[in-house]
Amino acid sequence: MENKIKEYNISQSPEQYDAIVVGSGISGGWAAKELTENGLKTLLLERGRDVKHGEDYKTEHMPPWEAEFRGRGDRKLFEEEYPMQLRSDVINEYNYHFFVNDKEHPYQTDEEDPFLWVRGYHVGGRSLTWGRQTYRWSDLDFEANLNDDIAVDWPIRYEDIEPWYDYVENFIGVSGQEEGLDHLPDGQFLPPMDMNCVEKDVREKIKNNFEYRTMTIGRCAVLTEPHKGRGSCHYCGPCSRGCSVGAYFSSQSSTLPAARKTGNLTLRPNSIVHSIIYDKETNRATGVRVIDRLTKETKEFYANVIFLNASALGSTQIMLNSTSEAFPNGIANSSGVLGHYLMDHHFRVGASGSFEGYTDRYYHGNRPNGIYIPRFRNINEQTIQDSFIRGYGFQGGASRSGWGRGTNMKGFGEEFKNKLRDPGQWNFWLTAFGEILPYEDNYAELSDKTDDWGIPQLEIHGSIKDNEHSMRKDMAATAAEMLEAAGAKNVSTNENEYLLGEGIHEMGTARMGRDPKTSVLNAHNQAHDVPNLFVTDGACMTSAACQNPSITYMALTARAVDFAVEEMKKGNI
Amino acid sequence: MDRREAIKQLAFLSGGALSLTTVAGIMGGCSAESGSSGFTPQTLSAAQNKLVTVFSERIIPATDTPGAKAAKVNEFIDHMLTNWNTDQEKEHFLKGLNHVEEFSNSEFGSNFVELSKDDQISLMEQLEQEAIDNPNPVPGSDLKPFFSMMKEFTVVGYYTSEIGASEELKSNLVPGYYDACMPYSEVGRAWS
Repeated sequence: MENKIKEYNISQSPEQYDAIVVGSGISGGWAAKELTENGLKTLLLERGRDVKHGEDYKTEHMPPWEAEFRGRGDRKLFEEEYPMQLRSDVINEYNYHFFVNDKEHPYQTDEEDPFLWVRGYHVGGRSLTWGRQTYRWSDLDFEANLNDDIAVDWPIRYEDIEPWYDYVENFIGVSGQEEGLDHLPDGQFLPPMDMNCVEKDVREKIKNNFEYRTMTIGRCAVLTEPHKGRGSCHYCGPCSRGCSVGAYFSSQSSTLPAARKTGNLTLRPNSIVHSIIYDKETNRATGVRVIDRLTKETKEFYANVIFLNASALGSTQIMLNSTSEAFPNGIANSSGVLGHYLMDHHFRVGASGSFEGYTDRYYHGNRPNGIYIPRFRNINEQTIQDSFIRGYGFQGGASRSGWGRGTNMKGFGEEFKNKLRDPGQWNFWLTAFGEILPYEDNYAELSDKTDDWGIPQLEIHGSIKDNEHSMRKDMAATAAEMLEAAGAKNVSTNENEYLLGEGIHEMGTARMGRDPKTSVLNAHNQAHDVPNLFVTDGACMTSAACQNPSITYMALTARAVDFAVEEMKKGNI
Repeated sequence: MDRREAIKQLAFLSGGALSLTTVAGIMGGCSAESGSSGFTPQTLSAAQNKLVTVFSERIIPATDTPGAKAAKVNEFIDHMLTNWNTDQEKEHFLKGLNHVEEFSNSEFGSNFVELSKDDQISLMEQLEQEAIDNPNPVPGSDLKPFFSMMKEFTVVGYYTSEIGASEELKSNLVPGYYDACMPYSEVGRAWS
């Protein structure tokens, strides 16, 4: 690839910054905010197009009758050009412009057991479309690898990250209910969203019937009151179209405005990072090689410190492609673990049931949030399982069925129409999200195929294994037993095929650890091998836990910038 | 979690089978005529368009609110057949329309649109029963019976139209606040 890049004409003079951040999504936006607020002239590189807050949310509040396919999207286009994004069930007519065209951005994977790589290549990345669920980790998670004697130990503990969780939550705004659980620590919460009447009833029944199980309202990065100049939620529902009032956390609504305010930010969209430039003499990453997405021109940018926030696999791809005499297998990869221990959260298992009664109750507004049942397996001596280690949490909620039930309801004509005028029965669904262990043979490497910009495509391999399969049986069983105990009727379990990546919580591949021989990053997300190179997106994760991971990436990023700035002041980097 | 809701809440449209040449045969070379609304169907013939219009109105008729015809469900169906469904599904659906006419003629002696309301309903009840008895009419495929496909098209087309979503049901694109538990009587209709 060194040869490949030299074919391009380096036409302009290099530009020098204090810091370069690669990627403008959830963690990259945070890196840019923290670096610029510390006075560093920062270049934020984004591989995709610009998306402007508000004005580029073209489908916000669009009614279905204005959408060509009534919200379903262009099936033929999706099947031909967005097949992997489509398989993940997340794209629709209103949001597909925030997901990559797989045809333009191919990757290699196995035909059986493919890895699903769901991406957003534009300013803001997946911060525009994320699920917004926000849960802290605890030492149950940070000590897990050590206690189970698998993979490597996390080099940090809860006390290291706790103040950074506080810091991040105070900035982004997280609504939630305090529950006092050791393994799902409370945070700096805005007022919680309400549960509906059926959910409140189920919460009580779970509490009365099951020790160690708690159902709480989802903790989410959606504002329930105005916060730092952003408006509170107006409950339109489909957040992934973008939110002009900035009611949910995104780079656009939160971190990028803060970074811009400093006057230290240069945002450069359409800048695909090919590789990192490394200087053997100083053992420093001195800059990055960028290919312009539109013109395919190559340009180099230089900085004293580099933060990779291109998403777990994106950052790893750049590192693998940054080869030199010192690092023939990718920069900062003396351990050889770069690309390995790819994780995600497995799901698509759960149960649902219906509730009789409450037909005189309804709701107003579309709450962009559900309920959460934190992990209750293997959390203490009393909850140890024989068939699997680690655990899972449930997301879910209750709602009344709507007109959609008409497609399966017998009859037609006036009576049929009148029945659908009223909402149907209350239904409650639960879906589990479970921890996937770090396996060496779940991994990504560079393929011999290149993309349109001459960059080697990733080839991604992976699947879940025995521990996860055993956990899935338990997920279905406990979902059903809770719904039954809560009085649900017609309880049915579902267990659908899950493909690695489908949780869109892909993480690992450049893990943190204590030993440079077995990990890529140290306790401060700093590359063991290259002290001015930091990776603070999902790539850094040493284990996956079962909580939605974004808040942890944000906290680790803010913490790593604080460390990097101190090190720069000391002259260490 | 709710990133999946939108797609999940919408029932999946699928349907019928056969090849393009068969479609051409079914279409019988008859060209579509512009209706009074200025709508020119792309896939349905003029006769098929009329049949779909009448059939969908029988599924969701005008009551104190407009029905499927006013909501232009026929235009939605033609659009989906033309641009969304697979060729196999499209042909299966068109074959289903032919079957309706054959059935109508053999049972009642004329085309569906010319039958009395009672005869139309009687025929539709028989089609619905057939669909219930044989939910998988083309073994080895996931094609649905014509009646199920037609009903799904009609329900989706109607309740996602402005009439269905905001006259028949209640539409609330920007609710402004969330009330988790309120008397249904204060809303009075299902949210679309």
